[in-house]
Amino acid sequence: MGSIELVCPAGSPPMLRAAVEAGADSVYCGLRDETNARNFPGLNFSPAEMNEAVTFARDHGARVLVAINTFARAGADETWRRSVDTAVAAGAHAVIVADIGVLSYARQAYPDLRLHLSVQAAANSAEAIAFYAESFGVRRVVLPRVMTAPEIATLAKATSVELEAFVFGGLCVMAEGRCALSSYATGRSPNLSGVCSPPEAVSFETDANGLTPRLAGVAIDRFAADEAAGYPTLCKGRFEAMGDTSYLFEDPVSLNAMTVLRDLRAAGVKAIKVEGRQRGKTYVRRVTEAFRGAIDALDAGRDCEPFARMLTDLAEGGRETEGAYKRKWR
Amino acid sequence: MAGSRRQGAKRRWEALLARPLLLPPSAFLTLSLRRLARAHPEAFVRLGEHAQRIYLIAPTDLPLAFCLRPAGTEGAIRLVAAGDAPEAAVRIRGALLDLLQLFDGTMDADAAFFSRRIQVEGDTSALVALHNALEAADLTLADLIGAPRPTRDLVNRGLSWTTQRWRSA
Repeated sequence: MGSIELVCPAGSPPMLRAAVEAGADSVYCGLRDETNARNFPGLNFSPAEMNEAVTFARDHGARVLVAINTFARAGADETWRRSVDTAVAAGAHAVIVADIGVLSYARQAYPDLRLHLSVQAAANSAEAIAFYAESFGVRRVVLPRVMTAPEIATLAKATSVELEAFVFGGLCVMAEGRCALSSYATGRSPNLSGVCSPPEAVSFETDANGLTPRLAGVAIDRFAADEAAGYPTLCKGRFEAMGDTSYLFEDPVSLNAMTVLRDLRAAGVKAIKVEGRQRGKTYVRRVTEAFRGAIDALDAGRDCEPFARMLTDLAEGGRETEGAYKRKWR
Repeated sequence: MAGSRRQGAKRRWEALLARPLLLPPSAFLTLSLRRLARAHPEAFVRLGEHAQRIYLIAPTDLPLAFCLRPAGTEGAIRLVAAGDAPEAAVRIRGALLDLLQLFDGTMDADAAFFSRRIQVEGDTSALVALHNALEAADLTLADLIGAPRPTRDLVNRGLSWTTQRWRSA
């Protein structure tokens, strides 16, 4: 492992193997139910697959982090407790949790279990992080994607808890995971159901006007025949307001923080995270190889910027941004 | 108007005449699919309720389309003439090479969609389930043609070389 831990996504066992073989230090994945925030049809791991994944990763010097990062439903919290039990039984290196009740259960049932605070918990102050560390023994916090590199540096000085920052993949304009837009339009949301813009609410129409994506029957964009498209989330929809048609909330664009990797390391970030468990093994292999190369270059005193332009074709809308790290918005 | 009616009637006749010719390859592809289902039952489990749906996969550079019902060992693939496309839950269109690379996971499906290399219509849940099941099955082109296990690596290398040459030609 280099100076920064590279944490990559896996939505299936082959994706996990691809990430490990491409140089990931850790791989995060979830069980096939509503306890993880990527609860899409056909995705994720059965308990047996999780066991095999942990063994494979361990045999190759990598670690498996299990995301149990949705918020437990009243009256159904047994499901979340069972997921923690399954992750522990599989031998996971850590579980990534957002819900205070689930954290409490994990802490009490498995005092030695390593706990990471999910980005869904949206902890971005030293006081919030201290609360999670003192109350539940949280060892690492995944930072919301709304912080600048200098803000992260300030935070790192005020906490001894490890910090993990997203460096590649989709962006949310809302406070992490607390998206009212998806819930408003479809009745399902990332923090409760594990899905943003669930696929059963999504449709695409192609006609002479181009491609029209709809969410819950409502047209939220229209792309010309040769225009790069995005997944139809309301926050990345294009709307007409005051006579202008524009992206009111956010463009369909992906985060690529390769050029601020040096700043993040200097700020005290312990681990960097790639988003995209729903993307597939080609995606994870290419992104992992690029960031592995960039971290190794950085550690060897070389420039890591050449790796930054290797991934543009994988970006949503074919465009990339450094997001809030070099803030132009909040 | 009369011209487009004539074109439509011509396509329907062509489709009708092509049907007997498409039966043998349909039977072969169905056998391959069922062999896949026996070798990778876990992939078909991932499809859940969507295993019984009809997926129409239409290469834009061929006068044919593949009508897939991925119902495990009961599944079937039917080759149809492009003008004879039946009702389907999901319709996927793109160049044959791109569709083959999506099948074996060497092309990223989202990137192919973002860049408009492939077009999709219909039930997005079923589409997402198919994509995730294919990803998890870790299939290769040798699986598609039912190559015997000892020859798989050799066949895959050959097919990979061929498709790369085809793409650069």
